[in-house]
Amino acid sequence: MTHYIVRRLLWIVVLLFFVSTLTFVVFYLLPSTDPALLRAGRSSDPEVIEAIRVQLGLNDPMLVQYWNYMKDIVLHFDFGYSYVNNAEVRDLILDRLPATISLAVGAAVVWLVLGIGVGVISAVFRRSLVDRLAMGGALLLVSAPVYWLGLVALLLFANDIGAFPLFEGSGSYVPLTEDPAQWFASLIMPWFVLSATFAAIYARLLRANLIETLSEDYIRTARAKGLSERRVIFKHGLRSAITPIVTLAGLDIGVLLGGAILTETVFNIPGVGRLSYDAITRGDLPIVQGTVLFGAFFIVVLTLVVDVVYAKLDPRVRYR
Amino acid sequence: MTTLLRRAVALLALLALLVAAGCGDDDGGSTEAGDGGGGSAEVGAPVTETASDAQKGGELTVLSAGDVDYLDPGKAYYAFSFMVLYPMHMTLYAFEPGNPEEAAPMLADGDAEVSDDGLTVTVKIKDGVRFSPPVDREVTSADVKYAIERAFTKEVTNGYVNSYFANIKGVDAFKKGDADEISGIETPDDLTIVFNLTRGGPLVGALSMPITAPVPKEYAREFDSKNPSTYGENQVTTGPYMLDSYRPGREIVLTRNPNWDGELDPRPAYLDRIVFSEGNDDATVASRQILEGKGMVSGDFPPPPAVIKSTVQGDTKELIQFNPGSGTRWVSMDTTRPPFDDLNVRKAVLAGFDSNAMRLTRGGELIGDIATHMLYPGVSGFEEAGGMEGFGLDFLSNPSGDEELAAEYLRKAGFESGKYEGPPILMVGENAGVDQAAAQVAQRQFEKLGFKVNLRQVPGDTMYTKFCNVPSSDTQVCPNVGWIRDFADPETVLGPTFNGNNIVPENNVNWPELDDPAINKAMDEASALTDPDERARAWADIDRMITEQAPLIPWLWDKFPTIHSTDVQGVNALWNQGSYDLAYTSLAGAGS
Repeated sequence: MTHYIVRRLLWIVVLLFFVSTLTFVVFYLLPSTDPALLRAGRSSDPEVIEAIRVQLGLNDPMLVQYWNYMKDIVLHFDFGYSYVNNAEVRDLILDRLPATISLAVGAAVVWLVLGIGVGVISAVFRRSLVDRLAMGGALLLVSAPVYWLGLVALLLFANDIGAFPLFEGSGSYVPLTEDPAQWFASLIMPWFVLSATFAAIYARLLRANLIETLSEDYIRTARAKGLSERRVIFKHGLRSAITPIVTLAGLDIGVLLGGAILTETVFNIPGVGRLSYDAITRGDLPIVQGTVLFGAFFIVVLTLVVDVVYAKLDPRVRYR
Repeated sequence: MTTLLRRAVALLALLALLVAAGCGDDDGGSTEAGDGGGGSAEVGAPVTETASDAQKGGELTVLSAGDVDYLDPGKAYYAFSFMVLYPMHMTLYAFEPGNPEEAAPMLADGDAEVSDDGLTVTVKIKDGVRFSPPVDREVTSADVKYAIERAFTKEVTNGYVNSYFANIKGVDAFKKGDADEISGIETPDDLTIVFNLTRGGPLVGALSMPITAPVPKEYAREFDSKNPSTYGENQVTTGPYMLDSYRPGREIVLTRNPNWDGELDPRPAYLDRIVFSEGNDDATVASRQILEGKGMVSGDFPPPPAVIKSTVQGDTKELIQFNPGSGTRWVSMDTTRPPFDDLNVRKAVLAGFDSNAMRLTRGGELIGDIATHMLYPGVSGFEEAGGMEGFGLDFLSNPSGDEELAAEYLRKAGFESGKYEGPPILMVGENAGVDQAAAQVAQRQFEKLGFKVNLRQVPGDTMYTKFCNVPSSDTQVCPNVGWIRDFADPETVLGPTFNGNNIVPENNVNWPELDDPAINKAMDEASALTDPDERARAWADIDRMITEQAPLIPWLWDKFPTIHSTDVQGVNALWNQGSYDLAYTSLAGAGS
């Protein structure tokens, strides 16, 4: 197992290298905008534009730019400077990462609790009224885009513009270290809005898996041996049915740690997602590369975690 | 039972959608929100005086979507950046909120003295103005000189200094590195600065720009030695406020400058603390937060048309202002390419163009006046150029478009049917918000005259840097361009945008690529004038020459809308798109 994990970690390095190369090439070959002209604002002075090009290193050949970029990352963990506001990319991402982690992890807890809970209940009481309402509700939530749901939630429940002011609204986020109570209050709505679609998908997936699992021979055997229904469902049924959910959760959380753009935008949460979105629209390559690398890192690490957890959940799985 | 349940679920889903649709309708961003808006002429008048009961104290939050372009007064060039910077600095001159045409002394101790030949400008500065901590010392004329000099360096890369300050003697040598200082800027004593010029120009007006805010060389040198300079994040100030913290894209916090002396600065500076909260990308949510909340004002975004409509028709009309003189919007045509190299085709387009329809995309009548020429209200020379009526040109006489007149001009251009029959044209516009809608309306206006339009819609930055600002691109029409002056001088509106000598391969803002020798010559002559009245008349004449060439469609003189919370006594800076002047704005009940 240890060898496996070490090998996977080495592959992570290789993968991140390829991701960074690909991002660089894509943005170099297909630039959406010229950062030097962007920084020059409405100035048309060629001297100013040239000075900015030199500042940003844009006059260097592509390979030199790439070499400098990779060298700084490897040797100094330095992702360069934003083309737009000259801030250090590393600082910008680290500044925004806590908000994204808070949002993603909190939402994951909500959707796992809701998704698994509703999925189990629906599977156990399948074709009942509860099952139908739950699955109907899930269908609605799957169909509701996050930005729409977020806006509706704000207009209904935000304490500043909502019809029923219950929760903190847009722009209320504060870091956990500054004010834990306010941090929690500000994230309640974003957590539920972000988790709504995921919870619905997980509930439907788990229901289907659990129904299938509960019809297996070994479940019948367990029941025949006189095990309690609770033990049959949770010890034998759920443990088997939940493995695809674990895979899915790992990837989803990894993706969200790279930034939940829509939720962060609607609720004005200063996270990595909004940072990357703004950077893409403004052709801010250093930030795009930084956020892509961070996102890729989270995805591959969580994939590894999922594989390890998989082995724990399913004794048949062994890695060498 | 199963059928009943299915129906119940379906009904529930339908109900939820209807409720949601109802909720969303309020803020749906209807582009027809403002066709009059139901407001009277008095609704939304800007506020330019401080409240009689204004009190000191309190914290104001400015909600903005974006960030400053630069925090450095030597680099900043956006209206929102000026909103942040001016409360922190004392520039030599500055505009008072209600007077966008004439700058008043700020750091300067009286008006600038201009020699008879217009080639020497002398400014005295106030005695006793001090920098904020950690510098703390008194400001001298050398600090103003250094502030201007650093703007010419490659570490600072200022966007306008070469337009307005390049006529100072010794600039070229300084830029080439042949001189350590600009010889044409003299500081005979600590309180006097003299500018020696090679030729006339709008320098006196430009002394209100932020690069005239003093910078202490001994302190800034460390930051200016880096490329790019990091002085912006570490700046010291002379105005009522100073920089407390800056988190790019998130927040800027200003607090009181303990070294500020209210006796030396005309601004009342009521607020104790100003927080710029950035990243409010959803203008509907942010607008409602301001209008229904406390202690907030809008920063860089206009409220969406639906919010404007509900505000002017509701009980909170006093919370919104429409600020005249906020710039002008154009649909430009490339005069170097067919079919727009034909003056009659251009006149036909202007004649048939429905500017009212374009205006509705932004909110209608309240949001601005239909433009009739290039200079706009609040810019010197506007009245001399015919004011609101313009020059009475037939092809600009009907704001809703005159298709018969358009057909007449098209026939003169050789299209016997009165409709354009040539190959398709390429129009490049923005792909988001009200600008997206404006581009689509512009497309329909051209199609109405027979044009086949390939409309390509891209992000705003891409539109400028890859298409509209690049003469070598194939773009023929740019429907989302516009201009705002740097200061009240008409040269700052017409010079960069219509002088053929300013056509450059990149970041070109002479969008129609108008290169008329007569206009260029007239501009050179007008630029050298120093008497304000003569300048106004000369540039008004140039306005006529340009407008007669119909290089673009002037369709709106903006009245940028601003909003504030009920407890905010906002004061609009008309010189800066009406953004709130935070050194004059106060909070009701702050002192209680």
